[in-house]
Amino acid sequence: MRRVLITGISGGLGRLVARRLHGRVEVLGVDRAPWRRPPKGIRIHPLDLRKKKFEDLIRTERPDAIVHLGFVRHFRTEPALRHEVNVLGTRRVLEYAVEYGVRQVVVFSSSYVYGALPENSYYLDEDAPLNVSRTYPEVRDLAEVDMLATAFLWRHPDLGVVVLRPVNILGPTVRSAISQYLRMEYVPTVLGFNPMMQFVHEEDVADAIVLALEHELRGIFNLVGPGAVPLHVAIRETGGVPVPLPEFVLRRTIRRLFRWRLFPFPDGAVDFVKYPCTLDGRRFVAETGFRPRHSLPDVFAKFGRGDDAWR
Amino acid sequence: MAVTAPTVPALPSARVRGRAAARATSRHHPLVELADELAESTGRALRALAPSAVLRLEEEIEERLARVPLRKNEYGYDPWGFHPAVARRILLLTSLFYRYYFRVELAGVERLPAGRVLVVANHGGQIALDAAMIATGVFLEGEPPRILRGMGEYWLPRVPWINIVMVRSGSVVGTPKNCLDLLHRDEAVIVFPEGVRGMNKPYWQAYRLQRFGLGFMRLALATRTPIVPVAVVGSEEQAPGIANLRSVARLLGMPAFPLTLTWPWLGPLGLVPFPVKYRITFGEPMEFSGDAHAEDEAIEKLVRQVKRRIRTMLDRMLEKRKTILSIFF
Repeated sequence: MRRVLITGISGGLGRLVARRLHGRVEVLGVDRAPWRRPPKGIRIHPLDLRKKKFEDLIRTERPDAIVHLGFVRHFRTEPALRHEVNVLGTRRVLEYAVEYGVRQVVVFSSSYVYGALPENSYYLDEDAPLNVSRTYPEVRDLAEVDMLATAFLWRHPDLGVVVLRPVNILGPTVRSAISQYLRMEYVPTVLGFNPMMQFVHEEDVADAIVLALEHELRGIFNLVGPGAVPLHVAIRETGGVPVPLPEFVLRRTIRRLFRWRLFPFPDGAVDFVKYPCTLDGRRFVAETGFRPRHSLPDVFAKFGRGDDAWR
Repeated sequence: MAVTAPTVPALPSARVRGRAAARATSRHHPLVELADELAESTGRALRALAPSAVLRLEEEIEERLARVPLRKNEYGYDPWGFHPAVARRILLLTSLFYRYYFRVELAGVERLPAGRVLVVANHGGQIALDAAMIATGVFLEGEPPRILRGMGEYWLPRVPWINIVMVRSGSVVGTPKNCLDLLHRDEAVIVFPEGVRGMNKPYWQAYRLQRFGLGFMRLALATRTPIVPVAVVGSEEQAPGIANLRSVARLLGMPAFPLTLTWPWLGPLGLVPFPVKYRITFGEPMEFSGDAHAEDEAIEKLVRQVKRRIRTMLDRMLEKRKTILSIFF
């Protein structure tokens, strides 16, 4: 493997992965957002996955592998745009990969695709159904992206598609939904519920992506960090105050605040702090020997410390 | 745990700054610390008021909990959400019921083998106090003490607080995957193959075993787990059922809606069980082998053996209850 293309390279995780690959392979990246001072030798192409220039880039550069991190995960844009970028973008990436002889594509999915349901087993394995759209339709594009990648996995036996489903990612640079939630000082929770939640540090996720490339993996993999704690413990350990509210109050408030753009996610997200969505990560560990370097106290202590890492 | 205070950079918003400052002095928010202190002093005050029997029981639970083999993380939680500090309080409550209310007579707990095991019992009494009493018995009188893992009804995780109590005391939702994972980790799991059919039947069907589900036998075969049959007498009289209103249950999204001698006529008081005498007997472990994916008929044959064992044990225990008084003494 000589040349790796990273989509969404300017995001927190994109930068971490790029820095890890830099020097070992040739790294090029695309992103709509700039990365002002990337390490020397990393070429950034400021372009949109949906534009023809993206195809041109793959045709001329012929990367051996693509790490696909270019997703819109926040709700600040129109749902239609979010859907278009995520689903159509992934389709493009996979189609071009087939067409231009890319050997491996890592598609960055999420543990959220399983959905948080009361009857969820602890330790859902990769065969568990993707239920998220049942209770949280606003993020059904996540499940669509995942299923699209899975379809390519079966349709193109020569293409090494890796679907990676990490648990809640915390860290100073990654802006995941859960980190936005935990960054609040007074964190609203559902009265009478306190589900177990798994966390993983952003650097361990970057390591895992590199491992997936190194081992030339193929298939669907849950990515699990050092372990699970109840939501309230996570809130306390990151310095917040849990504020339990009756569910109907919580849902109504969030729905309204979200509509006024005062809250980062819609009320469907409430299920993820009410019911468990914890994964079995044994398959990835068996294939790669992955061991997270950050323990749970470590993940919580380092969370959000360097808010200025972006500058 | 030793945590160095992070250096605080110039941060954009006051909200974040307040939080970072809180972290610089201690890891927790001052309000959280205050709540902790309040809880602790309340606990101390309650302990000062408690009778000495309760304190002794608490010590006993503490000593036994320390001997339970557990795989805990840095925060004291096991992979399924069990937490000794929370479980201690729940066990204190169930142990008080065990010793002083139901005065449980336990036999054969030494037959519980070490390592993975499936405990299979008859079910009755409208609420799963039989499960709590079996589990408390294994914890208080088994050597070494163990935490029996319950396979909860799918409805339970939806109930506020109950879902937390269930998980912190070692139970999980009764999915096959959960049971498999627990058995693979050499845990002791308790199942009631009659499910709601057994628990919420009317009293004139007391101690009549209902249809057994087959799932537990498939799991036992797949993981080569010994099955320990258990018979419980007393549970059926704790809240004798009159009827089960299925339509009301469906309306409320509950697995059953039983009417008993006291519920709902006496209001919340009607939920209090009668102080019956519980008798629990553990049978010899049964080992089965065969194909876990065999046809239902083949599995059913094996299940019938377990059912017959429980039936025999139940009959023998019921024979000993000569008069109506022996329900209570």
